[in-house]
Amino acid sequence: MPKLIFRLFFSFVLFVSVFILIQQQLKPESFGKYGHYRANSIDDNMMRTSYYKGEEKCSTCHEEVADLKSNDLHSGVSCESCHSPKIDASIECEVMPPKVEGNLEFCGQCHAMNLGRLKKGAPQLDFKEHKEGQNCIECHNPHAPWELKEN
Amino acid sequence: MGTERKLENRRKFFQTSAALIGGTLMYSLIKPFEAIAQTKEEDISEDKAELPLWGMGVDLESCIGCGKCAEACKIENNVPKEPFYFRTWVEQYTVKNDGEVKIESPNGGIGGLKQSVPDEEIFKSFMVPKLCNHCTKAPCVQACPVGATFISPDGVVLVDETYCIGCSYCIQACPYGARYMNPITKVVDKCTFCYHRITKGLQPACVEVCPTDARIFGNLRDKKSDLVNFLQDNPTQVLKPHLNTHSRVFYNGLSSEVK
Repeated sequence: MPKLIFRLFFSFVLFVSVFILIQQQLKPESFGKYGHYRANSIDDNMMRTSYYKGEEKCSTCHEEVADLKSNDLHSGVSCESCHSPKIDASIECEVMPPKVEGNLEFCGQCHAMNLGRLKKGAPQLDFKEHKEGQNCIECHNPHAPWELKEN
Repeated sequence: MGTERKLENRRKFFQTSAALIGGTLMYSLIKPFEAIAQTKEEDISEDKAELPLWGMGVDLESCIGCGKCAEACKIENNVPKEPFYFRTWVEQYTVKNDGEVKIESPNGGIGGLKQSVPDEEIFKSFMVPKLCNHCTKAPCVQACPVGATFISPDGVVLVDETYCIGCSYCIQACPYGARYMNPITKVVDKCTFCYHRITKGLQPACVEVCPTDARIFGNLRDKKSDLVNFLQDNPTQVLKPHLNTHSRVFYNGLSSEVK
């Protein structure tokens, strides 16, 4: 074999081998198990903290309110739709009760008049006609909207 | 003596190089087989369990644009509070009598959407919740140069936060504008269908809080799931079907004005 060809061949093999070696070292663990990505990243995505616990968790302590709500118009609305979620409700609910201001602005998120809101979704009210200046919870119980409070 | 030493050195050099090359080649030859030998058992067990295929249905006839979903998503997934970072948001489309289409989404709909057009000028108006469409042929996955975004075996487009280099090619590639650059982690973030929740049997946060059940989440392979029922009962459409992304978010009652 001519010396030149041998050297060329030798350096080619050397280059390829070094490339493979470096690639094997740098490639993260589990890369390529399912495809062109790190399979362990799926577990990373699963490991995040969850804030929203769901209605069942809330009703273990707040049974009465849950019962009241489940038999009324707001039964489809989850507790955490209005009350902000807690990481550990058993402690945090005592320290920082998830109070909601039942004012026109808050209830209006769903119930303020807007032509884009279809009537079947939620009752739409024009707050200028309907008890202007009053807070909704002064009359309505948010867990049972038609149990009107006496003024 | 000089030539002898040279020759000896050359021989040694060739011997060590040959050993190195041989070793490397053997290592690289064995390694892929090792991986196969290790994963073989796992693969079989996964096939048996039959993975779900997650998808979402959005009922535009029920959506009232309260923005609870966008708010819940920010809390659940630690999305920055500034009004330009969203994993999901709600848009209000207003078609005026003269045919002009106005699209509004102040703060992603958080705090409830308000109509800015006087009633007498409106031809029609409706809400459209938007999120990552979890495409079967995702343009963002193709654009990623390092393999940091991918479609998981159960059909969710995820981001590998430790591997993303923050080049934001995927943000440009996404036809739905569903991705954003997280200013804290400096990597790209997007809707994961709340992967940490759905893998534990919970619903995504946006579905959990929706007061009118406008979002339906479920397993497309389970013929008894709520989502499959929704798809059977309603004529649904995906966003931008002409792009051939084969997305897995299905809209009921989608108007042609929606982009």
